Amino acid sequence: MPCEINLIDADDLRLVKISQEAQLGLSLYEMKRVKKYFFKKKRNPTDIELQSLGQAWSEHCCYKCSKSILKKFIFGIDAPQNILVIKEDAGVVEFDEDHAYVVALESHNHPSAIEPYGGAATGIGGIIRDVVCMGAQPIALIDPLFFGPLDSSTVPRGVKHPRYLFSGVVAGISDYGNRVGIPTVAGMVCFDEGYVGNCVVNVGCVGMVKKKHVVRSRVKKPGELLVLVGGKTGRDGIHGVTFASAELTDSSEELRGAVQLGDPIAKEPLIHACVEVSEKGLLEGMKDLGGGGLSCVVGEMALAGGHGAEIELDRVPLKDAGMVPWEIWVSESQERMMLSVDPKNLKEVLKIFEDWDVPATVIGKVIDEKIQRIFYAREKIFEMDMEFLIKGPIYNKPFQIKTVERKDAPFEEPEDYNEILLRLLASPNTASKEWVIRQYDHEVRASTVIKPLQGVLGKNTHGDAVVIKPLEDSYRGLALTAGVNPSYTKIDPFWGSASAIDEVCRNLASVGATPHSFADCLNFGNPEKPDRLGELHSSAEALGYVAKALGTPFVSGNVSLYNEAPHGSIPPTPTIVGIGIVSDIRQCVTVDAKNEGNPVYLIGETKKEMGGSAYLKLLGIPSTTVPVVDPKALQERMGALISAIRNGFIASCHDVSEGGIAVCMAEMLIGGDVGARVDLGLIENMRDDYKLFSESNTRWIVEVKRDLAEEFEKAFEGILFRIGEVGGNTLLIQNDDRTLIELSVKELRDAWSATLYDYMG
Amino acid sequence: MDTNDIRVAVLLIEGTNNEQEVYLAFKRLGADPELLHLKQLISKKDLSDYQCLMIPGGFSAGDYVRAGAIFAARIKSALRKQLMEFAENGYPIGGICNGFQVLVELGLLPALESKMSDYPQASLAINDSARFECRPTLLKHESKGNCIFTKDIPYQEVVLMPSAHAEGKFLFPLEKQDEYLQRLIDNDQVVFRYVDTQGNYASYPWNPNGSLYNIAAICNLEGNVFGMMPHPERVFYRYTHPDWTRVYKENGDGKAIFESVLEYIRRKF
Amino acid sequence: MEADVTISLNKGVADPEGSNVKKALNLLGFEEVMNVRTMKTFRIDLATNDRVKAKKDVEEMCKKLLANPVIQSYQIELR
Repeated sequence: MPCEINLIDADDLRLVKISQEAQLGLSLYEMKRVKKYFFKKKRNPTDIELQSLGQAWSEHCCYKCSKSILKKFIFGIDAPQNILVIKEDAGVVEFDEDHAYVVALESHNHPSAIEPYGGAATGIGGIIRDVVCMGAQPIALIDPLFFGPLDSSTVPRGVKHPRYLFSGVVAGISDYGNRVGIPTVAGMVCFDEGYVGNCVVNVGCVGMVKKKHVVRSRVKKPGELLVLVGGKTGRDGIHGVTFASAELTDSSEELRGAVQLGDPIAKEPLIHACVEVSEKGLLEGMKDLGGGGLSCVVGEMALAGGHGAEIELDRVPLKDAGMVPWEIWVSESQERMMLSVDPKNLKEVLKIFEDWDVPATVIGKVIDEKIQRIFYAREKIFEMDMEFLIKGPIYNKPFQIKTVERKDAPFEEPEDYNEILLRLLASPNTASKEWVIRQYDHEVRASTVIKPLQGVLGKNTHGDAVVIKPLEDSYRGLALTAGVNPSYTKIDPFWGSASAIDEVCRNLASVGATPHSFADCLNFGNPEKPDRLGELHSSAEALGYVAKALGTPFVSGNVSLYNEAPHGSIPPTPTIVGIGIVSDIRQCVTVDAKNEGNPVYLIGETKKEMGGSAYLKLLGIPSTTVPVVDPKALQERMGALISAIRNGFIASCHDVSEGGIAVCMAEMLIGGDVGARVDLGLIENMRDDYKLFSESNTRWIVEVKRDLAEEFEKAFEGILFRIGEVGGNTLLIQNDDRTLIELSVKELRDAWSATLYDYMG
Repeated sequence: MDTNDIRVAVLLIEGTNNEQEVYLAFKRLGADPELLHLKQLISKKDLSDYQCLMIPGGFSAGDYVRAGAIFAARIKSALRKQLMEFAENGYPIGGICNGFQVLVELGLLPALESKMSDYPQASLAINDSARFECRPTLLKHESKGNCIFTKDIPYQEVVLMPSAHAEGKFLFPLEKQDEYLQRLIDNDQVVFRYVDTQGNYASYPWNPNGSLYNIAAICNLEGNVFGMMPHPERVFYRYTHPDWTRVYKENGDGKAIFESVLEYIRRKF
Repeated sequence: MEADVTISLNKGVADPEGSNVKKALNLLGFEEVMNVRTMKTFRIDLATNDRVKAKKDVEEMCKKLLANPVIQSYQIELR
C-alpha cells in the first residue's frame, strides 16, 4: 500500500533529500511549493502523489524552462492549413479537401545513449502512437541522428563508443520500423565531437487521416469511461521522464531500468484497432501513454477537457503482480493507449479490440470536478486538484545571448582542389549514407515515389527530400525532409538555426514541393546554465523569424534539454522536419544529372560565408561567418524554382549545402553517372576556394532540359547563372581559364561511397 | 471466369504488413481480393471459396523462431488438407517475401517430389551482410513456361522489383545442394535469378542476400505455387520504380505478375 | 518437467548474426573476442514427468517448428 511521506514537518534539507531519494527530480523551490499545497490540505502526501508531481512537473512533461521562449517565438504562426497545431501530441494540417496529415517529432536521446537499440526502437514506438492517437494511419518515419565521430579513439568513462551507439540505434530503428510496416524514408546522420557523451536521436512520424475522423487528446464530458488498451503495465521504463530531464553522468548506466522495451508485433494490431474505433466514431478522446505513463495521460486528458478523473488502479493489467501503486501509476511500459469512451459505445469498442486480440480494460471515469482521485483496494490513495498537478511551474530563468563577431581567419589558398574535394566527399558527414538507408525499409506501403537514394541503378546519390503518394486515387504528394547543421549552430545559434529552416525549404523546393509546415525538436544543454538557455533563446528566435516571414507554421515539436555529460553540452541542435506539398507527384524532380548537353544553372547568390563550412573544418581553420538567411529571397527563389519544376523545365535539381558548389555538382554526377563542365567565372569578387566551397544559403544547381533552356531563362526572374553543361564522364570545374577541379565521376563516387561501410562493415 | 468474379484471399496474421499493397494490386486489375486473418479463414471461411491464395510480406509473428516458421506451423496445423487440395486442383498460391518464407517452411516449395513435403527442403537464411537490405534488384526471368505467375513476362527478360528483407538467402541442405539444384533446374522451377544491369549473374549487392545460384523466385513442379523474395506489388506503377525520373516505362514491372495469375485463372476456371 | 532446446546452425552454414555480434563486442573494447556463433535456446515447461514421452514430444516440436533441418540442428536437454 502507498505510504505517507512526512513533508509538512520537513526542513529544506530534508525536502531536497526526499526529492533525491524518490528520484522525483524536483528542485527545492518546487518541493516547497508542494509542501505549501499539502500544508493547506492539512495532510501529508502519499508516495504516489509525490511521484505523480515529479512526472508532471518534469521539463519533459510541462516544458517549465522552455515554454515562455517557445510561446514568444515559435507558437502561433497562423496559416490557413492549420487544423490542430502545437496543442496536442501531434500537429494536424490540411492535405486536401477531405484529408489531413499528422506530424509528430520527439527526442529519445538519453535512453539511446544508455541502451541504443532499445532506446531508439521505443522512440519509434512512441512517435507512432502520437500519430495514431489523433486517429491517423502512420505512413512515414523520419529519423535525424547525431553521434560522436566514428573515428574517436577513446571515449570518456561511462560513455559508449559512437560506432557502437550508431550501429545500435540504426538496428533499433530498422528492427522496429520495418516490423511495424511503416517506411523509414528520411532523416539525417551527423557526426560531431559535441555528441560523444550524449548522442541525439530524434524520431518523427507522419500519418494520414480523414478530417472528419480526427480524434482529440482530451475527454469530453463527465461520465465517460477511461479505457486502457494495449500491453500490460510492468516495471519497465520507470522514471524515464525524470531521467530525460537531468544531465547524463557516468553512473547513468545504472538507470537502465528507465529504458523501456518495445514490441512491434503487439503494436501493429493496436494501430489497426485504434484506427478502426476512431474511424467508426466511437471515441470521445484518445491519447498515447508516453513519458510519465498513466500519471501524465489521465491528468492531461481530463484537464484538457476541463474535467477531472477517478481511477481504480487495481484494474490495470500488470506484467508483474508485485508492483506497488506508484510504480503502476508512473510506469512507461510500451504499446499502451488511453481512450475516453461514452458508456453507450463501450460494448462495441471492447468488441473491436477483442477481434484484434488487443486487451482493453476500463480503469476509471471522467468526473465533473477538476480533481484527480485514485483508489487502490477500495482505499483512496490520491486526491489532488488538477490545476495544481498538471500546470507545473513556469520559469523565466536567466539566459545569456552569445554575441558572435563575424570574421574569418586569414589563410593561404590551397594548391590542389582535387584532393580537397575527394576528402570532403569522403568525410562522414558528406559521404553516402547508403549503409543506413538500406537497412530501413523505405518502400513498404508502396507509396514512396521519390526515394531517399536516387539515380542510375546501382549508382545512387542522396535525394534532397522524399515524396510519398499517400492516397490511392490522387496524385497529390507529401514531401518530407529533415535538417540542421550543428557546425553552424555551435558557432552562431541564431544564423545556424535560421539556416536549418533554409535548408529544409531548399530540400523541399528541390523536388518541386511547396513548404507547408515544420516540426521542430529542440535539443539543447542544461537550461539552468544561462549560456545554454541563451542558445535555446537565440535558436527559437531565429526559427520563428524565418518561419513567420515565410508564413509557414510550426505545427508540432518537442524540447529536449539537459543534453549534457560531465565534459560538456551538445551543440545547439534544433532539428527541423519540413513537410511540403506536391500537387502532382508525376512532376517531381530528382538530384541525379540526366542527359548530355543539358545546360546547368546556379540559382542564388554566393557570398563569403565559410563559418562552420565543411571546407574550413577540413582545413582546421576557424571562422564565424555562418551563412545568413534572407527569408524574402528564399520565398521568391523557391517560388520560381517550384514553378519551373511544375512547368517541366528541370531535368535535375540539388540544393547547395555542405561542401558548397563543388560537392553539390559531384553528388548530382555520382547519381547520374555522367560528367559536367562548369565555369564559376560569373561569380564575382572571390577567391577560388570561396567560390567552390562557400555554403551560402538559398542556392540550388539545376539541370535544365536543353530545348527548354531559353524559356526557362525567361521565366526565371532572380539570380541565375548559367555555369555549364552536362557531358563526358569527368567533373571539370574552371574559373575563367584556370582549371580548379578535374576528376572522373568514378573517382568522385569511390571517394563518396565507401566511408560508412569502412567504419561499420 | 470473369475477372471480377475471381476471389483472392490475402492471408495474414499479426506482423504481416504488406497486405494492403497486394490487396490493391488485385483490386486495381478488377479482381475481388479480400484481406483475411488466418483466424477467420480457419473458423469462418472456406478456402475452396477462393481461386487464389496470396501470402504477403512482413514479419509474421515477429519472425521469431525463423522468418515465416510460426505462420507456417499455424497454417499446417489447421489447414494442411485444404491447402493440399487447393494446390492439387491447380489453384494458384503465391508468397512474396515473408510469404515465400512461409511457403518454404510449409514444404509447399520447392516440393521437389511434387507434393507438399513434411519438412522444409530449403531455407531462406539470414542475408550474408547480416543486415536488412532494402534495395532495387534486377531479376532475369528463367521460367521456360512452367510458372503461371510470370506467363506475361518474356523468357530471359530482365525486370526490376525491389527487395526488402533480412532473411532471403535461398539454401538447400549442404549435402544435397547439387542434386536438389539440378532437379530444380531440370523441373523448370527456377523462375527469377538476381542479375546486374548487364544481365549477368552477379554477387552482392545485385544478389542482395547471397542466394544459391542467385535464386530470387521459384515455383513448384506444376507451376501454380510460387514464391519470390522481391516485391512485385511495390512496383505496380511506374512511379514507384527507383529510376522513373530517368527511364520511361508504361507500367511498373510488378504488374505483370498479378496480370499473369489472373489471366491463368480466367482461362482455367 | 523442463526441456531446454538449443538450436544451432549446421556446420558450414554462414552465421552473419554471430559475426556481427563479434564486431560489436570488438567495438565495445573486447578485442580478445575471436569468434561468435549464435545459438538460440527455448526453455519449455511441460506438464508431464514422463521422460520418454517428453523427449519424443520435444523432438516433434523441433521438427515441426523450432528447427529447419536445412540449416539448423537441435539439442534437447531434459530436467
